[in-house]
Amino acid sequence: MERNKLSRRHFIQMSAFGVGSLLLFPQCSPQLRKSSWRFFSVEEAFLMDTIVEQIIPTDEWMGARDAGVTNFIDKQLVGPYVRFQEKYRNGLSAIQSSCHILFRKPFEELSWDEQTGFLKMMETGKLSQTLESRDPSQKGEKIWENNFDRSFFNLVCDHTMQGFYGSPRHGGNKDYVSYRMIGLDYPFTIGQNRYKS
Amino acid sequence: MKKILFTTLLVLAILFIVGALSFGSFYAYWNTASPDRTCASCHEISSSVKSFSGSSHQKMHCKECHGTALSNGLHSLKEKGMMVVNHIREERVEDIRMNESQVLNVMENCVRCHASEYANWKSGGHSATYKDIFLDVTHNQTEQLNFDCLRCHGMFFEGTTADVVEPINTQGPWKLKDPKKAGQPAIPCLACHQVHADGAIAQAPDYSKPASIFYQRTDSVSKVSFYDRHEKEHIRSEMLPKLKLFEGEYQVPVSEDPLMRNCTQCHAPNGWHQAGTSDDRTPRGVHQGLSCTSCHEPHSNNARNSCVKCHPAISNCKLDVTTMNTTYANPKSPNNIHWVSCKDCHKNQKSKIGNEK
Ligand code: HEC
Ligand code: HEC
Ligand code: HEC
Ligand code: HEC
Ligand code: HEC
Ligand code: HEC
Ligand code: HEC
Ligand code: HEC
Repeated sequence: MERNKLSRRHFIQMSAFGVGSLLLFPQCSPQLRKSSWRFFSVEEAFLMDTIVEQIIPTDEWMGARDAGVTNFIDKQLVGPYVRFQEKYRNGLSAIQSSCHILFRKPFEELSWDEQTGFLKMMETGKLSQTLESRDPSQKGEKIWENNFDRSFFNLVCDHTMQGFYGSPRHGGNKDYVSYRMIGLDYPFTIGQNRYKS
Repeated sequence: MKKILFTTLLVLAILFIVGALSFGSFYAYWNTASPDRTCASCHEISSSVKSFSGSSHQKMHCKECHGTALSNGLHSLKEKGMMVVNHIREERVEDIRMNESQVLNVMENCVRCHASEYANWKSGGHSATYKDIFLDVTHNQTEQLNFDCLRCHGMFFEGTTADVVEPINTQGPWKLKDPKKAGQPAIPCLACHQVHADGAIAQAPDYSKPASIFYQRTDSVSKVSFYDRHEKEHIRSEMLPKLKLFEGEYQVPVSEDPLMRNCTQCHAPNGWHQAGTSDDRTPRGVHQGLSCTSCHEPHSNNARNSCVKCHPAISNCKLDVTTMNTTYANPKSPNNIHWVSCKDCHKNQKSKIGNEK
C-alpha cells in the first residue's frame, strides 16, 4: 500500500516535471541554438579568428586570436557596431568565394603566406579590380564592388586594433595582454595619499 | 449569466493549477537538474557556466553558492524574472554582474565550506568593516575623504564615497548614509578570489611509482585574483604587474611571487614608487626579495610564527632573531622588520651610511 502511494506521487511528480519543462524551456534546448556567438556563425567566427591572427600574429605574446578579438568584434556587432553587420556578413562571404576561385580552398586552409598574400591583395584593392563571380546566376558580376575589399580590410584591421588594445571589458585584450606587451602596468600601483607619512 | 461566471472561474482555476504545477515543477527541475540543462541554457549566463566548468568548484551545483530563486528572497526572484522578460524580448544582457548585496550573500555560502579560512580572515585586519574604514576619526581628519577610497576597501559598493559617508570634509562628525552598512565587511572574500576562474580539482598522485610523487607535481597557478573596481573584473594575480620600487634611483629587487602582486595593489607606495612611502611594506635590507607571504599567513595575516621557518639556521648574529631589537619584538623599535638592514644595527662598522649618523 505504502509503496503504491509513493509511486503514484512519483508519477504525478514526474509528469508535472515534464509539463513544466515543456512549458518553460521551449527555446532553451541547446540543440536548437545555432551558434554560441552573438552575431557570427560558427564558420564566420572561425574565419575571423584566422584573419585577425594574420593582422596581429602570436609571437612571445598571444596574438589577436587568443586575445579574443573575434569575441570583441562579435560583441560590438550586436551593440555599438550594428551598422557594420551587413559589411561583415558580405565581406566574409566574399572572402570565401574569392578563395574558392583563386585557391579552391577556404581561407583557413591556405598556408600562412598565402593568407598574407590574399589579405595584401584586399588591402591594395586588387580583388575588386579583377575577381568576377563564378556563380552562373551572377555571371560577370564583381565579387567586390567599389573597392569593398579594401574598405572591408581596413574595417577589420581597425576593429582588430581596437579589440587588441582596448579594455578587456569590451571583450578583447584578454588578460591585458597588449598592456603587458607594451610594458604598461595595469592596474596602476598607487597607494593612498598619506600626507602625514 | 451565472453560467458564464462559473465557466470563467473554472477556466481561471484550471489556469492557476496548471501555472502552479508548472512553476512548481520548473522550480524542482531548476534546483536539481544539471547546470547545462538549466542555467547554461540561458545565454545570459552561459559564459558564467563556461568559466565555471573549468574551475576548482566545477563539481558543485550553482545553488550551493547562488541559492535558489527563492532562498535569496524577493530581490533575487525579481532579477530572475527580469532575465526571463529580457529573454523573451530577445534583448541581450551581457556581462551580468552581482551587486554588492549578492556578493555578501554568496560569501555567507563560502563560509559554509571554508570555515577555517573564514575564521582566519575574521581574526585579521582584512575583516575591517565599513564603520572601521569610513568612520575612523584620525584618518578622516588627516586625509580628505575622496572617490578613490573604494578602490581598496568597499570595492563592490555601487556608488561613490559620498554615497557611503557624509560629510566629505576633514571636520566631521562623520556618519554612514546607510547605517546598515556599518557592520558589513569592506574587504570580503571576493576582493581576492574569483570562483568562475581556471582551477583544478585535487587528485591523488599515482602511487604505483611512489618515488616519483614529487615529480608528478606541476607548477600550479595561484588561487588569488584581485578585484579591479574600475573594470569590475577580477585579474589573476599572475597577470598583475610586479611592483617596481625605487630608493631614489636604485631599483629594489622585489619577489617574483604572484601572490605578493595582490598585496601590493593595496599595500602600495606613492605614485613615484618610492620605497617606504604611503602603505608600502616591501621587504628591503636583510629581508630584501622576500614575498609578503613568506612571513604573513593568508587570511589571518599573522607573521608571529614565521621566523622559525628560516631562523636561526641562517642568523648572522648568533642571536635569537625574535628577541632582537626590531618591530617584531617591540612595535616602538626603530628597526622596522620590513626594511631593517645590517648597517642599521652595526653602525660602527665600515658602513658608509652608518658612519654618517
Ligand atoms: C563555489 C561557489 C559558486 C558556484 C558553485 C557557482 N558560482 Fe556563480 N558566482 C560565484 C561568485 C563568487 C561570483 C562572483 C564572480 C566570481 O567570483 O567569479 C559568481 C558570479 C556569477 C555570475 C555573475 C557574473 C559575474 O562574473 O559576476 C553568474 C551569472 C553566475 N555566477 C552563474 C553561475 C552558474 C550558472 C553556476 C552553476 C553552473 C554558478 N554560478 C556556480 C560563486 C559560485
Ligand atoms: C559546497 C562547498 C563549497 C562552497 C560553498 C565554496 N567552496 Fe571553495 N572549495 C570547495 C572545495 C571542496 C574546494 C577544493 C576543490 C579541490 O581542490 O578539489 C574548494 C576550493 C577553493 C579555493 C582554492 C582553489 C582554487 O582554485 O580557487 C578557493 C580560493 C575557494 N574554494 C574559494 C571559495 C569562495 C570564495 C567561495 C564562496 C564564493 C567558495 N569557495 C565556496 C568547496 C566549496
Ligand atoms: C591604494 C589602496 C588604498 C586606498 C586608495 C585607500 N586605502 Fe585605506 N588602507 C589601505 C591599506 C593597505 C591599509 C592598511 C595600512 C596598514 O596597516 O599599513 C589601509 C588602512 C585604512 C584604515 C585603517 C587605519 C589606518 O589609517 O591604517 C582606514 C580608516 C582607511 N584605510 C581609510 C581609508 C580612506 C577613508 C580612504 C580614502 C581617503 C582610503 N583608506 C584609501 C589601502 C588604501
Ligand atoms: C586579502 C586577500 C584575501 C582575502 C580577502 C581572502 N583570501 Fe583566501 N587566500 C588568499 C591568499 C593569498 C591565499 C593563498 C593562495 C595560494 O596559496 O595560492 C588564499 C587561499 C584561499 C583558499 C585556498 C586554501 C588552500 O589551502 O588551497 C581558500 C579556500 C580561501 N582562500 C578562501 C577564502 C575565503 C572563504 C575568504 C573570505 C572569508 C577569503 N579566502 C578571503 C587571500 C585572500
Ligand atoms: C583589497 C586591498 C588589500 C589587499 C589585496 C591586501 N590588503 Fe592587507 N590590508 C588592507 C587594509 C585596508 C588593511 C587595514 C585594515 C584596518 O586596519 O582597518 C590591511 C591590513 C593588513 C595587515 C595588518 C593587520 C593584520 O591583519 O595584521 C597586514 C599584515 C596585511 N594587511 C597584509 C596583507 C598581505 C600579506 C596581503 C597579500 C596577501 C594583503 N594584505 C592584501 C587591504 C588589503
Ligand atoms: C620577514 C617577514 C615579513 C615580511 C617578508 C613581510 N612582513 Fe609584514 N610584518 C611582519 C611582522 C613580524 C609584522 C609585525 C611587526 C610589525 O608591525 O612591524 C608585520 C606587520 C605588517 C603590517 C602591520 C603593521 C604595520 O607595519 O603597519 C602590515 C600592513 C604588513 N606587515 C604588510 C606586509 C606586506 C604588504 C608585505 C609584503 C609587501 C609584508 N608585510 C612582508 C613580517 C613580515
Ligand atoms: C623566508 C625566510 C625568512 C623568514 C620567514 C624570516 N627571515 Fe629574517 N632573515 C632571513 C634571511 C635570509 C636573513 C639574512 C640576510 C643576509 O644574510 O643578508 C635574515 C636576517 C634577519 C635579521 C638580521 C640578523 C641576521 O641574523 O642576519 C633579523 C633581525 C631577522 N632576520 C629577523 C626576523 C624575524 C623577527 C622574523 C620573523 C618575523 C624573520 N626574520 C623571518 C630570512 C627570513
Ligand atoms: C636588529 C639589529 C641587528 C641587525 C639587523 C643585524 N645585526 Fe648583527 N648583531 C646584532 C647584535 C645585537 C649582535 C651581538 C652584539 C654585537 O656583537 O654587536 C650582532 C652580532 C653580529 C655578528 C657577530 C656574531 C658573533 O659571532 O659574535 C655578526 C658577524 C653580525 N652581527 C653580522 C650581521 C649581518 C651580516 C647582518 C645583516 C645581514 C646583521 N648582523 C644584522 C644586531 C643586529
